Amino acid sequence: MKPVFRYLLCGLAGLALGAGAAAWSVRAGAFGSSARIGPWTTGGDIGTARASAYTRATVALHGLLALPAREARYYSADDDDRGRPLDGRCRYRISGGDAGGAWFSLTLYDPAGYLVANRAGLYSVGSAAMGPAERGAWTILAAPDPQPGRWLPTGGVERFNLTLRVYLPAGGGRGNLPRNRLPRIARLGCR
Amino acid sequence: MMRRWLLPLLFGLAVAVFAWQAALVAAPRIIMSIAVERLAEAGGINRMLHAPLAGPGRRTIVRPSPDLAYSSCPFDLSRTALFLRVMPNQAPYWSLSVFDRNTDVAFVRNNRDSKGGVIDLVLAREGQAVPPGFETVRLKGDRGIALLRILVPDRARFAELDRARRSSFCSGEALLTSPVSEAE
Repeated sequence: MKPVFRYLLCGLAGLALGAGAAAWSVRAGAFGSSARIGPWTTGGDIGTARASAYTRATVALHGLLALPAREARYYSADDDDRGRPLDGRCRYRISGGDAGGAWFSLTLYDPAGYLVANRAGLYSVGSAAMGPAERGAWTILAAPDPQPGRWLPTGGVERFNLTLRVYLPAGGGRGNLPRNRLPRIARLGCR
Repeated sequence: MMRRWLLPLLFGLAVAVFAWQAALVAAPRIIMSIAVERLAEAGGINRMLHAPLAGPGRRTIVRPSPDLAYSSCPFDLSRTALFLRVMPNQAPYWSLSVFDRNTDVAFVRNNRDSKGGVIDLVLAREGQAVPPGFETVRLKGDRGIALLRILVPDRARFAELDRARRSSFCSGEALLTSPVSEAE
């Protein structure tokens, strides 16, 4: 084989490998995945010029038009506290406290980032619906069937994602919430 | 045999590293360009689209919050600068954010920042003429998206907040043809 063909072959392979690996990595990456805190991933430089090319690409794909940290912080979980993927056929207790912002909400998505269809029309639970006492210590049950108290329907989907949004976060959103201030996600049982 | 392939393999490795970085840099611009096109198809370019609340299979932006009403203005500054007006409403939180072609936030202001008042803003390229007296954000690219978020604490309040947000708008023609106050 002539040298020029060897270079051409390796160059094309490198092009496919590099672009393909980047596409796979961005698709597999979590939204705002610059820090992992227990099952939660987050990033403090979303929407800013100092964000890395990788962060910018994952945010563009998984959460285009996300707000910068001073306006909102996003925490995303695909697993429970024990590292098991969130399964819509199971029942989870999600418990937390005041997330330290003007308001917060917890939303359940399918893996493609769509809200999950359910008869109750419930897609999120937000602090706007809570009194001061509950806001300091709340519990949500995520499950396919109706639950007492605050229920977040999973729709029985195979996998789901939880996204916690904290708006107007304390300290201008510069720091990540520590593990003990992020919600616990405990699996209670499965069908 | 191996010696003949060593340099081509190193060349291939260098191309792979370059392709990795190039793909990451290009991805946000490509995704933003697609988003602008899709929003423009739904409501027009340089026009504000007041979308219904997100639901299963229904969204105008990626990973929407079901607690927020979104009004989006996909813009193209190639012909003219863009005028944006956000009228205040009774929601406990609302904000206007502007995203450039590279998905960076060029501007964000919420109801606390604006003390509940009107936000008037002009988006323009570097060197583009704008009327005097307006707060102006200069962008590096022509295209991007301005997004108004309004917190809907209770879905029963959506109709009221939806009516209020419809007095907010974006327009390029307003700056080309008449004083902004007449364009309302």
